Amino acid sequence: MSTLPAIDRSSRFKTMRREVGRALGALVIALLVAFVVVLLTSKAPFEALNVLLTQPLSRPRTIGLWIDDIAKLTVTGLAFSLVFQARQFAMGVQGQVYVGALAATYVALSPLGASWAGIPLGIAAAMLAGAFYGFLPGIAKARLGANEIVSSLMLNYIAIELCNFLVRTNLPKPQAGVLTTNDFPDNAVFPTLVANTRIDLSIIFALVAVVVVWFALYRTSWGLKLRLVGHNARFAEYSGIKATFIMVSAMTASGALGGLLGSMFVQGQTYGKLTVLFEGGLAFEGILVAIVARSRPLAVPIVAIFYAYLRQGAQLMNIRTDVPAEVIGIVTAIIILLVSSSYSLNFITRLFRRAPAASAAPAAAGGAAK
Amino acid sequence: MMELFLTVFSAAFFVTVIRTTTPLLLATLGGLIADLGGALNVALEGMMLIGCLTAVIVSVYAPWYVAVAAGLGAGALLGLIMAFFAFRLKADIILVGFAINILAAGGTVFALALATGGDKGTSINLQSKSIPAVDLSFLSQIPLVGPTLTAFLSGHSVLSWLAAFLVFAVWYFLYRTPWGLWLRGVGEYPAAPEAAGIPVNKIRTWSLIVSGALAGLGGAQLAMFNYVGFTRDMTAGRGFIALGAVLLGARHPVGALLAALLFGAFEALAVVMPGLFNDIPAEVIRAIPFVVTIAALVLFSIRAQRALAMRGVK
Repeated sequence: MSTLPAIDRSSRFKTMRREVGRALGALVIALLVAFVVVLLTSKAPFEALNVLLTQPLSRPRTIGLWIDDIAKLTVTGLAFSLVFQARQFAMGVQGQVYVGALAATYVALSPLGASWAGIPLGIAAAMLAGAFYGFLPGIAKARLGANEIVSSLMLNYIAIELCNFLVRTNLPKPQAGVLTTNDFPDNAVFPTLVANTRIDLSIIFALVAVVVVWFALYRTSWGLKLRLVGHNARFAEYSGIKATFIMVSAMTASGALGGLLGSMFVQGQTYGKLTVLFEGGLAFEGILVAIVARSRPLAVPIVAIFYAYLRQGAQLMNIRTDVPAEVIGIVTAIIILLVSSSYSLNFITRLFRRAPAASAAPAAAGGAAK
Repeated sequence: MMELFLTVFSAAFFVTVIRTTTPLLLATLGGLIADLGGALNVALEGMMLIGCLTAVIVSVYAPWYVAVAAGLGAGALLGLIMAFFAFRLKADIILVGFAINILAAGGTVFALALATGGDKGTSINLQSKSIPAVDLSFLSQIPLVGPTLTAFLSGHSVLSWLAAFLVFAVWYFLYRTPWGLWLRGVGEYPAAPEAAGIPVNKIRTWSLIVSGALAGLGGAQLAMFNYVGFTRDMTAGRGFIALGAVLLGARHPVGALLAALLFGAFEALAVVMPGLFNDIPAEVIRAIPFVVTIAALVLFSIRAQRALAMRGVK
């Protein structure tokens, strides 16, 4: 027995402790800022804070909402983690959610949806559609060098308009003027795990996705290549890895996850039908989950638990007090800023240490801009 | 079809195009400055949005030019914040940009609700002001061409004229001043200017501040001329389209102007087309600028790759 694995393990724990400490530190700072904002703006600040921090646990129904959010944030976090690990900045999860939801809707509202195959076929169609939508910016970048950030963002808007259009004109609606489709047949809606809550198959799918993504990234040669490409694309290329193939496949796989999220939205207990603008910006919040989890699949659900709790707390605060739920956007932004920067808890002292910090950044920034 | 041609070649349509182009052009110039400095500014969208809200809220209490300056200042401040996190704390600049976008999407709605006393959709119950249009109707006294000149040149926002001037100013700055050379050098190959003693991070920080200021100015135009008042998510992807316009415009101010005009024209078409063609769905028209951005991005990338291949780089 060599000492090598032992060293490896202890350094791994050290890294983990540092990452957890950094994430918790960012959370504390962000919450403090949010508290100050609430104190300054609310007429009953302490009641608002109390709702934010305790109410998601108050009833089975709110716990159900929380768990449903965990499932969705986990999947979007995984989707972003996959592309971030390949050092791609594809931002297309939102669009993939919409095309995935559309595909699932067409299956669910077809005769197939009423049969036993409603759920599996719906999910498969959604994942295929999402994968295709993730593949597009990937291939455009690999073949033509088209910037994947811009193209994936444009595809998001196109998907949203497509969804609006199809719901308005092509999909069956309960009555004229409403912007939702008919309810799906029961066979196409995920069954609940706990009666009268929104806890449904989604959370199981999310956990399965965590295991699958972890296995793919850390136990397959594809995952090793993907992480190598993300670490240093040129080195990976020199060692015979087809970097462009890995990039495109990572974005396609991430797209499949985005499509899965789309089917979780429309086939889950939340809707059971397709509504325009159904995802409410949730897909983008996977950025936060992926960053705080440092793109590690096993850390993603843990981050999702905390963040989903905050999200639900903010929603309840919106309903029960005078503080709008959007205050959570401030918390989100601060957490992303603090965690993605190499800040540590003593960063305030570093602010005043001017000279050394100035020299090392250009290389990193230059790399990011390309 | 005839009606479409008549509309497109009318002076009124031209004025609409200039109106829709101005915020895009300002944001595109902002994106250009940051991009040439080697800092891809994906936060243009958020900066515009915060510029919009700041301008609207300040215009309730102050004259229009103070409100415009406030929108500009808000964008510049965001640029400074972005530079601070990206260069001092070494965060990835793309993630920082998205943090700012998320902050803007949530924060503006939050601030709007506070400012209006609970309305999270629009600022309709705030008495905000608009940017005055420049009246050039005296031109019509010129014989023959006078009325045409008036129809085309009169009635634009003050900021439209400023934006046109800024295209020239940015060009002059980039290609005729030492700082412009430094900026391009920093973006091209940061190690060389650094070895020459040029403060790389300082230049990048300034480029982000200017970039934010221009995006904020674009936001002010959007919320104080194109529409008067703030509605949630009123930028609706314009910041990202501007990002595409930077790449499409071959990273040159004149190219930026042409690209912004192209997207502005499509936006203006989207404004006038529903009245002309009832059978084309509104969603399709709204999606046109995004499709054009992707098509343009792909075409430009093909061209850039061919140029690289011709120089034997790849």
